[in-house]
Amino acid sequence: MTTTDTTPVISEEAIDVWDGKLTIRVKVAGAGPPLLYLHPAAGLAWDPFLSHLSERYTVYAPEFPGTSVGDPYAVHAIDELSDIVLAYEEVVRRLGLDKPVVVGQSFGGMLAAELVAHFPGLSEQLVLLDPIGLWREDTPVANWVATPPEQLPALLFHDPAGEAAQAMLAMPEDEEQRVAATAGMVWAFGSTAKFMWPIPDKGLRNRLHRITASTLIVWGRQDSLIDVSYAGEFAELIADGKVAVIDNCGHIPQVEQLEQTAAVIDGFLS
Amino acid sequence: MKISLFEQAPYRYLPPDFEQHYESVCSTPYALTDADGVYSSIRDFMDELMLGARAGFDGVAVTEHGQSSYDMVPNPDLIASALAYMTEHEGLDVAIYPMGRSLGKTREPVRVAEEYATIDVMSGGRLVAGFPVGLSYDANLNNGIPPTETRPRFNENLELVLKAWREQKPFGWNGKYSQHPQVNIWPRPLQAAPPVWITGIGNPRTMQMTLERGFGFNYLSWFGAELTGKRIFDRFWELADQVGVPRNPYRLGFLQTVAVAETDERAEQEYAEHLEYGFRKGLGSIPPEKLGLPGAIDIRGVQALLKDPGDFGLYYQMKTATFRDLVDAGVVICGSPATVREKVAAFCKDYGIGNLHAMLGFGSLPRDLAMKNIQLFAEEVAPHLRGLWSDTEHQHHWWPERLGGVPQPATVQSEREKAAV
Repeated sequence: MTTTDTTPVISEEAIDVWDGKLTIRVKVAGAGPPLLYLHPAAGLAWDPFLSHLSERYTVYAPEFPGTSVGDPYAVHAIDELSDIVLAYEEVVRRLGLDKPVVVGQSFGGMLAAELVAHFPGLSEQLVLLDPIGLWREDTPVANWVATPPEQLPALLFHDPAGEAAQAMLAMPEDEEQRVAATAGMVWAFGSTAKFMWPIPDKGLRNRLHRITASTLIVWGRQDSLIDVSYAGEFAELIADGKVAVIDNCGHIPQVEQLEQTAAVIDGFLS
Repeated sequence: MKISLFEQAPYRYLPPDFEQHYESVCSTPYALTDADGVYSSIRDFMDELMLGARAGFDGVAVTEHGQSSYDMVPNPDLIASALAYMTEHEGLDVAIYPMGRSLGKTREPVRVAEEYATIDVMSGGRLVAGFPVGLSYDANLNNGIPPTETRPRFNENLELVLKAWREQKPFGWNGKYSQHPQVNIWPRPLQAAPPVWITGIGNPRTMQMTLERGFGFNYLSWFGAELTGKRIFDRFWELADQVGVPRNPYRLGFLQTVAVAETDERAEQEYAEHLEYGFRKGLGSIPPEKLGLPGAIDIRGVQALLKDPGDFGLYYQMKTATFRDLVDAGVVICGSPATVREKVAAFCKDYGIGNLHAMLGFGSLPRDLAMKNIQLFAEEVAPHLRGLWSDTEHQHHWWPERLGGVPQPATVQSEREKAAV
């Protein structure tokens, strides 16, 4: 299997939902059947993983309200988790996606699981990458929103000094751009935290049984944000769920171990 | 000029190397305390406040922090109600000033309305009602409110509290954060409209809101008023001009830590170590990310802070600040009565401050020294400051009528008109 180094042509659509009160921006790239990608708490970054997916799929990657550059206050349009789930279903419908593969990472994984639990007919294949959404008192999920910035890399990566981690953590050289990027990330954390604070468990456990999609749960073995044991919890609660654990890998397998991760996902989807 | 005694209730017996190992909020191990230490820290704090009331301060002020080793007051209304009864019993005309029931944090705003109303009744109409928005570590970490929700929750809760005081008939409340089929609190405040004060750290949005709504605004000098004062107070008065209300010093409150002894030398000798304890182990040991969690500060505010963290003054160095650093930054004013008088008067005059909240107990300061500080301030400093604005036309609309306040004009419009007459 190979992963591409080249970024495809990415276009953008602005989808009006929620009675016109919310515009969700969707990055689109690739060709083939539809794939909906839901990004993690820090916002959408088009990375080699998405480029890889776009070789076989038309990837639709919506930006969570509040995380789009220049539109921070969109987060105020929605108050409840259940409402954001409805808004995302509207996005899928307005885009005209027919049974898209749904892939979600971390916060986006919770959102993906909520979406297909609320609307079981929406998708037949679901991939969850280290999703949040459950809570175990013996191994609590780390509170990344309240983690000092200098400690975040160690929370997110097995090897924060590694090439993939460094590439993802790199900040713009230009002072103005760096301020904008940092403030944007802080605001993205705040916008997503609105729907998962103070504990990233909003009752998903009681809804996971509604998922009928065939589900692959991918987990970094050394994830220190949310322990790998959560993979088993998800698999137990989802009727057709199986687990792939990625070695030498923290919370973001598609970045830290792209080849391994892409391989198991390709295998599952083929 | 109204002068209040402000106190916090720090645990006074933390280990000398505390700040190298622990944070002062949220995670501080309670195992560091013992029962006698907690008892005396709280008991002395109450006694010091009562001394202030008896020594002639215009108000006694406390605030609220949850899970905090530097201020063990989880609800200021507990302290304020004890003070309200004691001072009423002794016939002391002193304002009872809970500076902070945080409304961005509370899930029971009706209870806040009831508590404050009860304090107003217990004190015979001497309540000054403080409503801070709420610090991140407190509202979000200790109390589980999503950071993006702190501000809108504050706004809604404040409306509900004011309406609960004002409305004559039961009313229904269909809010985003609380719903009540009817609100009809007993008792209501004795004052027709208790003076409302908002405490802020310099956010222009908060300042503008207080000016537009006719509230008082408090600024606390924690970060070092020499570094931050000009920025904050100039900003406040420029906003007042924009809103179109008079630059009335009585609508501005300023909290300053003060340590006064017979001479400058003696003041340093007696207070330096306790001041260092207070700020290193208190504010200095609150990690920055806990003061402003993602989402709690508007994205424009985050951008402004990243470009220019000047509003935070000495904060980033506070964990290791020396006595001299604290004095130079204006975090504390320490010296003889003459030194203190001069510095405080100059500051209040320069920035148009008509309410001083003197923090006279701090850090590890033992009871006797705290008592001395309060007594000396009351006798040797306060009398010289009290007349600071008496030769101006301004009236104090943000103070209980029973204590000399003048009920304020109902709207910004009428405030403008009254000022023009």
